[in-house]
Amino acid sequence: MILAGGRGERLYPLTRDRAKPAVAFGGIYRIIDFTLSNCLNSDIRRIYALTQYKSISLHRHIQQGWNILSTPLGEFVEVIPAQQRINEHWYQGTADAIFQNIYTLQQERPDLVLILSGDHIYKMDYRKMVATHLAKNADLTVATIRMDRGLSREFGVIETDEDGRILGFEEKPKEPKTIPGDPAGILASMGIYVFNTESMVRRLIEDARSNSSHDFGKDVIPAMIEKDRVFAFDFREGDQGGTAYWRDVGTIDAYFEANMDLVSVTPQLNLYDPSWPILTYQPPVPPAKMVWEEAGRVGTALNSVVSNGCIISGGNVKRSILSPRVRIHSYAEVESSILLEGVDVGRHAKIRRAIIDKEVQIPEGMEIGFNLDEDTKRFTVTASGIVVVPKGIRL
Amino acid sequence: MKKVLIVEDEEGLRLLYEEELKAEGYEVLTAANGREAIQQLEIGKPDLVILDIVMPVMDGMETLGRIVGKERKIPIILNTSYSGYREDFMSWAADAYVTKSADLSELKAKVKDLLEKG
Repeated sequence: MILAGGRGERLYPLTRDRAKPAVAFGGIYRIIDFTLSNCLNSDIRRIYALTQYKSISLHRHIQQGWNILSTPLGEFVEVIPAQQRINEHWYQGTADAIFQNIYTLQQERPDLVLILSGDHIYKMDYRKMVATHLAKNADLTVATIRMDRGLSREFGVIETDEDGRILGFEEKPKEPKTIPGDPAGILASMGIYVFNTESMVRRLIEDARSNSSHDFGKDVIPAMIEKDRVFAFDFREGDQGGTAYWRDVGTIDAYFEANMDLVSVTPQLNLYDPSWPILTYQPPVPPAKMVWEEAGRVGTALNSVVSNGCIISGGNVKRSILSPRVRIHSYAEVESSILLEGVDVGRHAKIRRAIIDKEVQIPEGMEIGFNLDEDTKRFTVTASGIVVVPKGIRL
Repeated sequence: MKKVLIVEDEEGLRLLYEEELKAEGYEVLTAANGREAIQQLEIGKPDLVILDIVMPVMDGMETLGRIVGKERKIPIILNTSYSGYREDFMSWAADAYVTKSADLSELKAKVKDLLEKG
């Protein structure tokens, strides 16, 4: 069950019209593609994605790109919007989201439930985590990753014994328990859980019948540590990239950096591994092309990711990510930027350190990212100076 | 006086429970199906719910979820002729599961027990 309802408020305005899992990443992907691909590559093919806010874009993407499983074989990727079957509220927390879908779970009655977030970018073989869960005879297994101690306010921090059994779980502590022998590191929860279904349902019901915040990290897991067998699973044992790459891309700056990693010669996130394909929906458009080769007017893209359907027509692109159908006109210059699907950059326009959302038309000669005082008047500009030009804007 | 809501579609049984529980000293509210039960929950503010499962209009398993969604902590007793519902996940949200019988002593004991606990 993938929790795909994240509002991603810190990614605004990229999340103005879509939930965080539906935000584009790496040219052709949406953030949720990584979790969904991990599932398929791990032979997990009965998948529910739970949505609530701004779910149309995500729903459409899953319909277009993930209609690839076999219904006769009992496989599915199904989007479940908040149905308000139990009460009239939105999901109040991650645990509430699962509890409110208890009737759906009842119909499937699996032995184990894997709870995932649709917000993260990583490559992981969940089968290894499930194997550990079974070997430890656990009720709950939580995937963990080492993070710097200074980031403890952003994570659920875990304390384990030598056998990996979880002794403590603190949500976003100021003074975290550090890893034994590694005072600069903490063991952070990745929001990936394997539950025995029966244990989970019983604990979710207890939680639903109490006045908690109905959150796995804040309420359910701390309560389970006292009563059940709860174990940690080291992400590195299931990591398919070998670089322990896992990104939350929760902020515009983090999103920008994670995208920029992909234009390096050897990115930390390897998208070229045929044994772990990342699937997505791609529009049926022709291959990218670069045209014009005459004095002062050469269509080029260097250190860049260029998706299908792009035409770089006499402009220059450097260190950038171009989603499908981007058009760069003559004499335009694009540097260190992310251009989402259908963006059109007019002649002589100059763009640097910017994220341009879908279908935006940049007029001839416009400059973005060169005068942040000017940019701030019209666009979102982050602390590190990334300019975000939102969808639907008319320039 | 503690207030008990009886949710039961069979009129004869509903009357029987009502009489018996009044005799035990409770104030009694009744509902003939889940939808009426939700209304009674809001209007009558009961302290405990006795809930049949197989009912027309809205069945007990659906009603149970709605009740928990509205009143997280209200004690609920599932009262049914069928034991198979014990396997339904939602039935685990009830505080007790009583199989219907001509002898109401188990049901009464559970009511007393749960109201004292609360």
